[in-house]
Amino acid sequence: MIEFKNVSFAYEKGRSVLSGVSFKIEKGEAVGLIGANGAGKSTVMKLLLGLIRGEGEIYVDGLEVKKDNLPEIRRKLGFVLQNSDNQMFMPTVCEDMMFAPLNYGLTRPEAEKRVDAVLERLGMTELKYRHNHRISGGEKRMAAIATVLAMEPEAVLMDEPTSALDPCNRRAVINTVKELGQTKLITSHDLDMIMDTCGRVILLSGGRIAADGPSDQILTDRELLEANRMELPLSLTPRP
Amino acid sequence: MHMADALLAPAVAGVMYVASGTAAGVSVHKLKKDDEPQKLPTMAVTAALVFAGQMINYTIPGTGSSGHMCGGMLLSALLGPQAGFLSMIVILAIQCLFFGDGGLMALGANIWNMAFYGCFIGYYLIWRPIMQSKLFGEGRGAGRGRIITASLIGCIVTLQLGAFSVVLETSLSGITELPFGAFCALMQPIHLAIGLVEGLITAAVLTFVYEARPELIQCASAAGGESGKRSLKTVIIILAIVALLVAGGLSLFASGNPDGLEWALFGNSEAGYSENMGLDEDSFGVSSSTADLAGSIQESTSFLPDYAFADSDSPVGTSVSGVVGSVMVAALALLICFIGGFFRKKKQKS
Amino acid sequence: MNKMETALHELSEMDELASRSSPVHKLGPTAKLISTIIYIAAVMSFGKYRLSALIPMLLWPVLLFQLSGIPVRTCFYKLRIVLPLVLAMGLFNPFFDREPMLYLGSAAVSGGVISMLTLMLKGVLCLMASFLLMATTPIDCLCASLRRLHIPKMLVTLLLLTYRYVGVMTEELAVMTEAYSLRAPGQKGIHISAWGSFLGQLLLRSMDRAQELYSSMLLRGYHEHFHYAPMKPFSAADGIYLFGSTALFLFIRFVDITRILGSRFVR
Repeated sequence: MIEFKNVSFAYEKGRSVLSGVSFKIEKGEAVGLIGANGAGKSTVMKLLLGLIRGEGEIYVDGLEVKKDNLPEIRRKLGFVLQNSDNQMFMPTVCEDMMFAPLNYGLTRPEAEKRVDAVLERLGMTELKYRHNHRISGGEKRMAAIATVLAMEPEAVLMDEPTSALDPCNRRAVINTVKELGQTKLITSHDLDMIMDTCGRVILLSGGRIAADGPSDQILTDRELLEANRMELPLSLTPRP
Repeated sequence: MHMADALLAPAVAGVMYVASGTAAGVSVHKLKKDDEPQKLPTMAVTAALVFAGQMINYTIPGTGSSGHMCGGMLLSALLGPQAGFLSMIVILAIQCLFFGDGGLMALGANIWNMAFYGCFIGYYLIWRPIMQSKLFGEGRGAGRGRIITASLIGCIVTLQLGAFSVVLETSLSGITELPFGAFCALMQPIHLAIGLVEGLITAAVLTFVYEARPELIQCASAAGGESGKRSLKTVIIILAIVALLVAGGLSLFASGNPDGLEWALFGNSEAGYSENMGLDEDSFGVSSSTADLAGSIQESTSFLPDYAFADSDSPVGTSVSGVVGSVMVAALALLICFIGGFFRKKKQKS
Repeated sequence: MNKMETALHELSEMDELASRSSPVHKLGPTAKLISTIIYIAAVMSFGKYRLSALIPMLLWPVLLFQLSGIPVRTCFYKLRIVLPLVLAMGLFNPFFDREPMLYLGSAAVSGGVISMLTLMLKGVLCLMASFLLMATTPIDCLCASLRRLHIPKMLVTLLLLTYRYVGVMTEELAVMTEAYSLRAPGQKGIHISAWGSFLGQLLLRSMDRAQELYSSMLLRGYHEHFHYAPMKPFSAADGIYLFGSTALFLFIRFVDITRILGSRFVR
């Protein structure tokens, strides 16, 4: 589904953010992308979405990420931003969720049907006509996920989906993520969440892939994590 | 400086709508031609920022009071005149719609007074010439100097123009009995001070942005380069015009009493205006008499005139019927409230 | 509560009112918008001494308040901005215009006092009208109707986006102001040393935010085209409302109901 072939990127000459990154994600896989601040996680996301251009080749569903293919590729990928306020730019939740379907040529009733279906599935039908600046942080995050699901993407990309949420809302988001059937690529510092939702983990460090493998292997490898400015998930940390 | 609906005659409000609408149409056209789709979100976020920024209290050192900013110059320096103008329109619209600041019909006038001058006059006649000049020489420090100069002069001049327009619009609408000259003498100096503070705030914000990301500021990078051909002379001419304007405002304040020329000017334009526009004769028949009343400022100290005890010739009957009628209308209003309340209670019970 | 928190509160209050349901809320936004503009124009066009003729115009907003169930209190709170301004302009009138106009018993009321009161009433009426419009019409519906009235798409989209981010930015500045005042006790506002950086910092961050917002739009298939709330067709009820209200405004504008009513009792 997603393939990076020897991808490098530098914002300025000489200051490379990513160098020679290669990985492949199969359809239906759930992958956690972890790494310290500045390791290049969001750069990977931006390259994948075609928001920035780097060197090397990136493929989404067999299509190379380049200008001509962008509309088709972006249609396949749903991206949940870390800051839901930046994602939800329409006044109400419903309008926001309809934004993408309408842009992709659905009629209003069709789009609304989709909105209802997604809200129903997430159990938040009462949010439909709420104003985006009048819903709580947790609701906003769930609504942002709903916005992306209304696109019916083939893969869901998430940037820190559980940041700044209370335990209850965090759990709700985790459960939602677990239930998604799509290919998933999630960046986060919430390693417990990654452990819970992703079968595979890619560990980035200094713009290179430091490790790539099953999450129960990487996330339990204390030495590996600490060598790359990470630590064991809290649930695995031995208590004194 | 937000005008309220009540302070304008419909014809004046309409003319201002047409003027502002034209400027908006031209701006939209220009931005469409430029075709920078990413500009729209930038405009929206910056406009929202300026909206919120207007609520910040800036303490003015040495005084107990605080200043605010309006943002026209700031927006045009950041986004360019057309995008700045549209952003300013949206800010004013939101203030009028959601906060009752300004008015739906007065919006056209408010856009003109606060957005047009700040964005177009301020940008094309002050900001761009100064930023592209060689004033203060080369280098970063010079850039900062130019930004401070341009913001200060820009804010002062555009606020003076805005204040003058407020006076003009209100007087043309025949709303206030305050003579035109006295009104000017009241408004211009106040807005000189406001403009100065706004200029300082704008300069402070823009220099901060300039230090961090100079590319965000319009014309900042072009300075000193090939467009530096704008000579010092142009800048000096502009400064002279500004000085003249400010001096004009100050002398108005100093004289207190308007001179004959102004009255002639105003009287004539008003007559022509009302003829052309077919203005409500009520508002105009009387406002020309303000001229006669102009000299009597010092006399007028009491609300009620000397002849408080009037003779019986006057149409007492008609005015009393007006009062009685008003009371009846008020009673009708109360009745509507009562019926409304009755039905609502009934609905709640059921 | 600082100013920004008050503004946030006002914004969400308007949202809440607009999302209620009533016969007035159900009317089409275009009809309401046009009717409101005609109402305000009619109020503005009253001569400055025609206080008593203007009073019946009050009946319309009173009726709408009752029909929509919108509390008048919220509207009066907003008067705090308009009234002082109108008052400041009108306050000079009693000094300059001392021609007696009306006799209450033996006391004369000068033209200046009448025109000042007229001005104030006009201020209140105009504010009520636009408040009622916004308290019964959600912003997305209003934007849809602005599009119908051929306001350029760019401007309407900008209004919609700005409205959304006004809440976000105001909240951020409210937090910043709070943080500032906690570290600067006793200061009433922002000290001159922080004039530039206070707003400047947020401005720089906002530019990144705008970039991210644009990405988010692009990623969801945006191409120069915004879809607004469904445009409800102009219904018969809208037509009746618009026609009826306009006729009423014109009637009140040109027929001095107050005087006619009064003269039935006083001769």
